[in-house]
Order: sequence, then C-alpha cells, then structure tokens
Amino acid sequence: MAAASATDLTHDDVAKILKIIDEAAHLDEVELEFAGLRLHVRRDASPGESVRRAAANPAVRAPAPVAADASVPAKKAPVAEAQAPAGAVAVRAPMLGTFYRAPSPGEKPFVEVGQHVKAGDTVCLIEVMKLFNSIGAGVDGTVVAIPAQNGALVEYNQPLVYVMPDPASEE
Amino acid sequence: MVSPPFRRLLVANRGEIAVRVIRACDKLGIETVAAVSEADRDSLAARMATRAVCIGPAPARESYLKPEALVAAALGTGCEAIHPGYGFLSERPAFSRLCRTAGVRFVGPSPEAIEAMGDKISAVRLATAAGVPRVPGSERIDSLATAQSEARRVGYPVLLKASAGGGGRGMRVVRSEREIAAAMQAAAAEAQAAFGDGTLYMEKFIERARHIEIQVLGDSHGNVVHLGERDCSTQRRHQKLIEEAPSPAIDAAMRAGLADAAVRLAQRVSYEGAGTVEFVYDTDAGRAYFLEMNTRIQVEHPVTEMVTGRDLVTEQIRIAAGEPVSFLQEDVALSGHAIECRINAEDASRGFAPGPGRLAAWSMPQGEGLRVDTHCFEGYLVPPFYDSLLAKVIAHGSSRAEAIARMDSALARCRIEGVPTTVPFHREVMAHEDFRAARVTTRWVEETLLAREKVAA
Repeated sequence: MAAASATDLTHDDVAKILKIIDEAAHLDEVELEFAGLRLHVRRDASPGESVRRAAANPAVRAPAPVAADASVPAKKAPVAEAQAPAGAVAVRAPMLGTFYRAPSPGEKPFVEVGQHVKAGDTVCLIEVMKLFNSIGAGVDGTVVAIPAQNGALVEYNQPLVYVMPDPASEE
Repeated sequence: MVSPPFRRLLVANRGEIAVRVIRACDKLGIETVAAVSEADRDSLAARMATRAVCIGPAPARESYLKPEALVAAALGTGCEAIHPGYGFLSERPAFSRLCRTAGVRFVGPSPEAIEAMGDKISAVRLATAAGVPRVPGSERIDSLATAQSEARRVGYPVLLKASAGGGGRGMRVVRSEREIAAAMQAAAAEAQAAFGDGTLYMEKFIERARHIEIQVLGDSHGNVVHLGERDCSTQRRHQKLIEEAPSPAIDAAMRAGLADAAVRLAQRVSYEGAGTVEFVYDTDAGRAYFLEMNTRIQVEHPVTEMVTGRDLVTEQIRIAAGEPVSFLQEDVALSGHAIECRINAEDASRGFAPGPGRLAAWSMPQGEGLRVDTHCFEGYLVPPFYDSLLAKVIAHGSSRAEAIARMDSALARCRIEGVPTTVPFHREVMAHEDFRAARVTTRWVEETLLAREKVAA
C-alpha cells in the first residue's frame, strides 16, 4: 500500500485498519492522520457510531474528527443502534415487521455470530402480515452481532445483524 | 374512573390529527403508539405518544399508505385499536377489513359502510333510496354519446365527476356540447391517475352554491345522532379553507330537513362512528342536494365541537369499543358561532404555492373562545412529503360577528416565520364585506377575491 492520502484511502484500507485495531488486545484509541483526513477510532460504545460511519463511507473527506450524525434523533433511535461493533456493516430492516432468525420455528437459525456469510446469503426473515421477506447480508464477511430479538417487532431501518466485511484479498 | 375503552391504540396518521387523536386518548386513559414515517420520527405526535414506531421511509406510499405495515405495527406493539385519522387509509374499505381480519378494532365504520359510501354512484343511489335528493344528473357514463344525451337532458352547464373521486380531482365543468369530448377525456385521465378508476358520472352544475354538511355519529346499538351543520363554502379549487357552524345561509327548516336526511342515510348503512353527509346548497333556488358522505373524522370537526361542546374524537373511540353514543339527540344544543381557518404553508400571492421549511418562529394566539389544533413548534421542519396544513385556528363567539372579530384578532397575533402561510389570506377574507355578509359561494375565492387581485395587480 502506498502512502495514503484521503483521496486514495479505499473502503478496504479502512477495513484493514479497523481489523488491526480490533485484533490488538490493549488498544483503545487510534488516531490516523492523512492529508485532508483524520480518522479517529475509539473502542468504547457511543463514539463507535462515528467509526462505523467512517468505515461504511470510504469517501469521507470531512475535516476530523468525524462527528456523529446530528440528524440521527437520539431519543427515538432503536436501542440496538448503540451496540454497533466498530467496522461492521449493519443489515437494516427494509420494512417494519416481525424479525425471525430461522426459516421456521425449531429450525436452525440462518446465521450465528462468528459465521461467515456471502453478500447474497439470507441472514434473517421479516414477516409482515404472514408475508415473509428474506433479508440478505449485502456484503461478504463475518457476522459479529445480532442485536434484533427473534420474534420481536423491528422498525423500519433498525439494525438487525452486523457483518464485519472481509478484508480485501491480496492481489 | 371508568375503565378506558381500549388499553392501547395505534395512531395511523401524522400531523395535527395525530396530535388530536393522542389528546383524546390521553383524556380516555388509553396508551398510544404513534406510527411514524422516517421523516416524522421527531414529530410532536411521536413525542407525545406513549411510544413511537417507525413504519417506513418518508414517502406516504411506503409508510402511511401501507396497510400491512400499520396493522403489523399495531399487533407488534399490543394495540387493540387503530385510529386512521383523515386522508391516507381512513376511507379504504380494504384497510378496515384488514384490521377486522387481524383482530384489531378500526376506529371508523365497517368496510361495507365505507364501500357503500366510497363509491359515489352507489352512495347517490343509497341517498335517493333514503329520500335524500341528489343534484340532477346521470348514472355511470360509458360513452361520448351517453354523455351528450345526458347533458342535454340535465341541461348545460354540467359537471363531470369521477365516480371514485373526491378533493376536486377528476372534475370538469362543461358549458356546451363542443367542450364535452375533451373534458371527458381529461377528467377520466385525471381520475384514473388519482384513484386508479376512470369511471365518470355527470351532475347539473350549480352556479351559486354553498357547501353545507351534517355531522353524524352512529353506534353499534343502532343509534344515529346529528350535531348540526358546518358551512364550508370558502374554498379554492374544491379545497376547503374556512369552515363555520352554524351556516349563515340556511334557515331552521332547511337545517332540520338536511339533518333528518343525513340521519336516515346513516341508518340505512348501519353507520358506526363519525361521518359527514355533504350537501350542495343552491342559493338561487333555495334547495339542497346530496353530494357525498365522508366516512371519517373531518379536518373541520372542531367547529362542531365548539358549538356543541361535544368531543367527536373520544366519541369515535368509544363507539369503536362498542359503547353507545354518550348523549341523546335532544341533549345536543348549539351555542354561538364558530369559525375555523386552515393555516397552510402556502403562499396565496403565488397561486398558493406550498413552501416547506424550518419554522424559525412559531407562536400562536391563546385566549377566550380560541382553539388552535397543530403539530407545529418552533424549530420544526415542515417536511415536503405531505400536505401543507400547519394549524387550524378556531374562534368561537356568541354571534357570527363576534367570532369573526375574535378570529381576526387571533390571526393578527400568529407569529410564524420560516415558511409562507395563508394567514394574510385569511385576514383578507375576514375583512371582506362578502364574507361578513355571508355572500360567499364555493367559487367566490377564485372568481371574486383572487380575480380582483389579479386586475388590481
């Protein structure tokens, strides 16, 4: 990887950085500075939101530090939002409905934490009035958290499953 | 305290009516769940409700118009009832039916009653059978030849209307046979686009009309009462702007006749809940004809509440729970006069162009005989996705003149910044001698008030 500037820092680069941080046991805070971009990553819960946003959007060129999005209303945001694991991509509910982890009661869940998934794999179902909608992972990676409760009502846009995207394969 | 009619109710609407329904539930001791789109997560209704759930993205067709999402939200949050407000799904028989199937009470009439009244041709047939006269006109029009012969029978000018219609869409005035083919085509296309049904029918066009409607309440025990009339003649393009009760244009005999007719019609369809039977009053002939029945709470219901002292929304909810109407017909007494002005985020000087935006300032008048129904507050962002209604200012007085004076002073005290509003328009109407003398007809705003401004400009 050549010396990175903000313009050529890719999604994969960010994912790699996050992976390094994630695997280091005694690291709580990291600050990286490039021309035009400062990436500030902290391990504790609430600023994790900003980390996830930075990772999900590699084109961020905003001056540092990357602030939490003010348009996300604090009060009414689903509780699960705070649990966003650093670097993971949220699979969000495309509709309001009932969340199911398995194809039918008694069956094995579609995914478990730690399981690897392909972008096209179904990770859960949302039932809206007897109509079952398969929800795909959307990204190749590893399931790191499943904040939604099986059988519970999930709201539109609520995070259901977090997937840590695979690091880019070496060329 | 008596036990509440329901433990928890889902509010399937937004804006001021969602706030109004939550207030009624608070009064009855019912918990509320506000079903909100993503654009309304921070709305006053979301804040006031016991809980809010996001049912979908901002566009109404992906949120407030999704029956399955709303019923799923009600079931998922343990609601026993759904209040549909007005607009959106409030008059969709399929939604009422879906609620019934899912075991959730729909606050409104049965799907059968909505269906019977929703189709204008069927409604007119029912009205005729109930002895409620309709405007001379036709049944369904299926060809140009039928249209021409019917127009000749009824007499020009005629009005082409959409069978599935409302709100002025799919309507055309035809003044001679030369215009009829083009008007038919335009009206049918508009009706098809707006309602998914291009079926048309025809009515005699009344040149000087007032819009008069009767408020009724029916319950599951077979009681139907009326709460007098509202006069909603101050309209622009068939959209009501100002409503008042009682009507300054009709006498006691006419009032009693219309009320009887409305009650008969509601009884005929075993009507449950709040409904409004609309009439067009021909001021030249002194005769009233049936227009349609709206099977929901109306925007302008507060004027009736102000002159009767009855709470229509709590009545609706009690009725949905199987309770009888809480009063008898002989207990309904009218007191004084009430006027409502709809304050929209629109610029009347620019063809009523809507102007969404953030409310930099929001301060509404308070005082004796005043009521303001609104979902707005300082800093609120009026979203561009929905209708432009910001607030309803309702003024009550012992006489019409007193109500007008009170309204005018209230309007002068509205301080709204950040969006255009119809406050200046309403002040102009309150000051106008035609309005003061009750000479306004349903086309007065366009043909007199706005037309004169155009000349003066």
